[in-house]
Amino acid sequence: MAPELLLDSNIRLWVVLPIVFITFLVGVIRHYVSILLQSDKKLTLEQVSDSQVLIRSRILRENGKYIPKQSFLMRKFYFNNQEDGFLKNTKRKVVPPSPMTDPSMLTDMMKGNVTNVLPMILIGGWINWTFSGFVTTKVPFPLTLRFKPMLQQGIELLSLDASWVSSASWYFLNVFGLRSMYSLILGQDNGADQSRIMQEQMSGAAMAMPADTNKAFKAEWEALELTDHQWALEGVEEELMSRELDLDGMFSKELPTGIF
Amino acid sequence: MSKNVLIIVFTEMRDKLRKWREDNHRNSEQIVDVGEELINEHASKLGDDIWIIYEQVMIAALDCSRDDLAWTCLQELKRQFPGSQRVKRLAGMRLEALEKYEDASKQYDSILQDDPTNTAARKRKISILKAQGKSAEAIRELNEYLEQFVGDQEAWHELSELYINEHDYGKAAFCLEELMMTNPHNHLYCEQYAEVKYTQGGLENLELSRKYFAQALKLNNRNMRALFGLYMSASHIAASPKVNATVKKANVKYATWATNQINRAYQVSYARCLL
Repeated sequence: MAPELLLDSNIRLWVVLPIVFITFLVGVIRHYVSILLQSDKKLTLEQVSDSQVLIRSRILRENGKYIPKQSFLMRKFYFNNQEDGFLKNTKRKVVPPSPMTDPSMLTDMMKGNVTNVLPMILIGGWINWTFSGFVTTKVPFPLTLRFKPMLQQGIELLSLDASWVSSASWYFLNVFGLRSMYSLILGQDNGADQSRIMQEQMSGAAMAMPADTNKAFKAEWEALELTDHQWALEGVEEELMSRELDLDGMFSKELPTGIF
Repeated sequence: MSKNVLIIVFTEMRDKLRKWREDNHRNSEQIVDVGEELINEHASKLGDDIWIIYEQVMIAALDCSRDDLAWTCLQELKRQFPGSQRVKRLAGMRLEALEKYEDASKQYDSILQDDPTNTAARKRKISILKAQGKSAEAIRELNEYLEQFVGDQEAWHELSELYINEHDYGKAAFCLEELMMTNPHNHLYCEQYAEVKYTQGGLENLELSRKYFAQALKLNNRNMRALFGLYMSASHIAASPKVNATVKKANVKYATWATNQINRAYQVSYARCLL
């Protein structure tokens, strides 16, 4: 079994806790800085209009059974008609927003980098330089020797267990661990949540891509072609008259009667 | 009405205003009473809430022709949020209330120049046309608006109302269909649609109206108007000479059922009166 090291309790007081505070405060500052630097995303009229059209087409597919068959067919024809159906024939000009051509995306990316990656590197390096030369804490699970150079920066002991880590690793642990604390204190969707932002960067460009509009239209067209009209009101009278009306609470003063 | 509003505590007043704001009540006189007192006596305790209360009270004041109060609210909001489009819209509404339609229109145009996607300004322009009685133009503008913003339910409802006033029931039915699709569980839209279809007349429309009255009743068993509508449409169809015997029999059955339910409802109300 690996020998248990007894660490100086000063380490706990002067290293572990300060690193936690520093990470937390830096995160909070990052959040407020990102709010200050936020630029408003201006949507064009066309984008708003297109998104609403897509919603309407989807509603038609889902709830078309509540309107009469004739009306449903009329709307389906409007959307899908061969010659002049809206979904079939509207082509939007597609400008893929690559970072080079679109200046606003470039500045957004830069701002993202400055507020998130840069402080992490700076503070990580500073902590490494300040709190170097000693072991900070022990991770509760055993690690292989290959982790030693990564987690034990500054400690030149070949025989030391890889579970004992330096302050830099404790800092990184904090960065990811305090994520849930940020959600608690700053509310959801806060600017200090680094890992979420990194995930977004990894999953590709932003959601509202204009190129998608044409594809979205095509997808809606196909989906609408396949939809059939099953009138929900076929047997409504029989269903209604199968039992007496529930008149409980009618004419009571507490019931809000009518609309204002 | 204000006898029921016996509110003394400041927090109660603020909560009442918030409830009215969230439920979109239009009880302007009450809002003016409560809001004016809140603003004059308890402004410091409200904190940041005060701005939205200013907006709410201002609109209520315009409804009650209290231009003095509206002006004070507007000044406070202008001082706090200079250059805000929301405040500009309120300024436009005040001009509308004073019937200075030209100035109001210019105000809304300036908002639209800055932000062409601002729906509130466009809708106010249309309501100016409606206030001036130019319903044909209002309908045209509203149609154009809806072409761009297909999802605006308030606008669809307004358009259906305008069409009903012009007796263009076919187009009103179209608008109500949009509303029924987006709100399939709202019994009032079903009922209004059924009424429009009933007014259009003709056997097919009567059948449709009967079905939609039944749907409205299914969604809300206590909708008396739909119950009467069901009775009337069913008896109309039964009385029409063009129907065959089975349809006649079915409709007579529906009408009888509706009559029974109406009688029950009257008994319930009579029993309540005796209590």
